[in-house]
Order: sequence, then structure tokens, then C-alpha cells
Amino acid sequence: MDWNLIGIWVAAFLTLSIYSVLYRDNPFYRFAEHLFVGVSVGYGIVLSIYQGLVPFALKPLWETVTTGAPEGFIKLIPICIGLLFFARLSPRHTWLIRYPIAILIGFGSGIAIPNVLRANIFEQTRGTIAPFAEIAAGTLSGWGIFEAILMVVGVICTLTYFFFSVEHRGPVKWLSKVGIAFLMIGFGSAFGNTVMGRVALLIQRVDFLLGDWLNIIS
Amino acid sequence: MKRQVPLVLCFVFGIAMIFTQFSPHSFSQGIYEEVISWALIIGPFALVLATVTLIQTHTARIRRRTEHWQYSFVVFAGLIVMVLIGMFFKPQNPMFVWLYNNVQLPMDATMFSLLAFFIASAAYRAFRARTFEASLLLITALIVMMGNVPIGNLLSNDTASEARQWILDNPNLSARRGIILGVSLGVISQSIRIILGIERSYLGGGD
Repeated sequence: MDWNLIGIWVAAFLTLSIYSVLYRDNPFYRFAEHLFVGVSVGYGIVLSIYQGLVPFALKPLWETVTTGAPEGFIKLIPICIGLLFFARLSPRHTWLIRYPIAILIGFGSGIAIPNVLRANIFEQTRGTIAPFAEIAAGTLSGWGIFEAILMVVGVICTLTYFFFSVEHRGPVKWLSKVGIAFLMIGFGSAFGNTVMGRVALLIQRVDFLLGDWLNIIS
Repeated sequence: MKRQVPLVLCFVFGIAMIFTQFSPHSFSQGIYEEVISWALIIGPFALVLATVTLIQTHTARIRRRTEHWQYSFVVFAGLIVMVLIGMFFKPQNPMFVWLYNNVQLPMDATMFSLLAFFIASAAYRAFRARTFEASLLLITALIVMMGNVPIGNLLSNDTASEARQWILDNPNLSARRGIILGVSLGVISQSIRIILGIERSYLGGGD
């Protein structure tokens, strides 16, 4: 049995089933939509267990059991904390779910503060003002100076638009208006890139249907 | 026990993660790596709980015979097949890879490509240049799109591609930096509020 050929037919059927929604809602689309949910969730579970639970918990525990080294027993703590998630299924014990949630949120918040500070605040600020060192050194062309000033003006005006602690009147209003202009350019770029990304995906699917499935194009 | 212990746990884990990232000592780094592995162990349990909730929702749909209840069996079929093959034969198994390549991946790409059609109607609404700001959005999007396709460069002698790159590297980047700086300051302040127990909405209602 040629599994590759069957795979192409299955993929083509599912692709056409999903595109059929462009005409109207129909049983083929609903079938593919529900299958997509089930398969995606199943895939996510398998991957998270094999990439998280197995290497970081079950493997060390198994080594502890087989070799007798006690270090792996510490993995029982996060396993027990993780099992507390299932307290959600018992109305009387549902409050226990707060423990794993609090740990994950505390962990996420703690890890976010230094990383966001470093990557998003310091690096972005440095990237914005770094060209001025080149201006001071006299190594930047006239156009480069214009771009450096444009960058700083754009950042300040965009931040001003999101600054709600003062009323947007007078000079603040004008800075805010310039900020809106920069934001519109940013959104326009994002929109253009998104459209092109989706169209590229569409071309890839049509290429699959006409090439791999129907063999009309090589 | 019900509210104070989670607040203490959140504080301890939050502070531990902050300090361990600033300290290069081997003990501190050991704690950092151990806690990261704990988060990776706890995470899958949340996903399994979410799946249990999904199963409960679809079981209720079947029991109540709500509209299109028959398709809930399709959800179960996809879920059970993927989990059984993946769990018993590992994710590297050819059958699991086949299901991923020929069932999940095509549907994933097709679902996202559907947006190409819907975005056309959104573009019609967005591109009606009624104000100065809408015109800016329209012109930028057109330049970015033209700079992305060969015909745009053919018609403009590569000017579209150069203009696109300049827009992405300058006004677009400055707007993005403004947004990133604002969002990051918000993330930091919210994280501090959570660690200090000022923000407690994640604990939910009740006692």
C-alpha cells in the first residue's frame, strides 16, 4: 500500500473540505474543522508529555528507581503540584488548583521582569539612540542623521500617544497626532505583511492541489 | 490555606526567579535550572486538564443532542488516534509523523490561508481612504505588498522593494519600538504587582 499516495489524497480531501466553507457552511467543512481540533489537541498533548514530562520528570525518576540515587525523588514535588490541576474536577477541592497556577504565574512573572527589562527596554532604547554616537563621531551621512532623528521622534511620539497621565492638549496633542501617523505606518506594514503571508500560504495550498495531487503543474 | 499559601508560593517563586537570574553562582544557577524544569513538568498537566474539559464539553453536546452533535465524535476520533499512536509508539513513529504531515499540517495551512479571502473584504473596508491616517495605512500597506511581489519590482524597477525595506526599517520600527517599550513597562509593573500579591485576580472568586 502506497502510504504516500494515500496521504496526498487525504490532505487534498481535507484541504478542499476546508475551502468549501468559502461557498457556505457545510458538512465537509464541519467534519474537517472538528477533526482539526481533535488532531491538534492530541498532537499537543503527545508533544508536551514527550518534551516536558518524560525528559524532566519520568526519566530522572526512573533512573532513581533503577540506580538508587535519591536526586530524582525531588521530581515528585512538581508532579504532585501538577496533579493538583485535576482538583478542578471536584467542586469541593477546586480551590487546590490555585497552587499550581500561583507557582506558574509567580515563575512567569519572576522570569519576565529581568528578561523584559534587558531585551525590550534596554536593547530597544539602545537601538534607538545608538546612531547618535555615530553622529557625534561624524561617521553618519546626512541621510543617516535624518533616519536617526526620525527614529527618536517616532518612538517619543508613539509613547506620547499611549501616555494617558496628562490630557492630550497643546503640544502633547500634536506629539500624539504625529504618534498616530507613525502607528498607522506600523499597522499598514503589519497589514501588508500579513496579507502577503496568507496569500503565500494560499499559493502553497493551490500548488499542492495542482502539483502533488492533480499533477497538472510540475 | 486557600488564598494565603498560593500568594506565598507566587511570591517565593517570583523572587527566586528574579534573584537567580542576577546571580551567576553555581548554587543559584542550579536552582534556576531546577525551577525551569519544574515549570516544564507542571505545564503538561494543565494541557491534559484542558483536554479533559474539552472532552466534558463534547460529551455534554452528545448527551444533550445539541446542533451538529455528531461531529463531536470526529473530535474524539482525531484526539484518540493521535494520543494512542503518539503515546504508545512515541512521536518519532512513522504513523504519527504521517498523521501530522497529511492530516494536521495541511489543515493548519489551509485554515490560515482562508484568511487570505477574508482579509480581502477587511482590506476593502480598511482601504477606503477617508482620513489622513487611513490614507497613510493604505499607502504603507500597498508599498509593502508591492515590494513583496516580483511584479511590483518589475513595474517600479526595484523601487518598491527598496521603499518597503526603508519603511520597515525606519517609521515602522520606531512605531514598533514605541509599542514594545509601552507594553514592556506594563508587563514589568504587572509582574511586580502579581509577585507582591497586589494583583490577585488569578486566584479567582470564592474564599
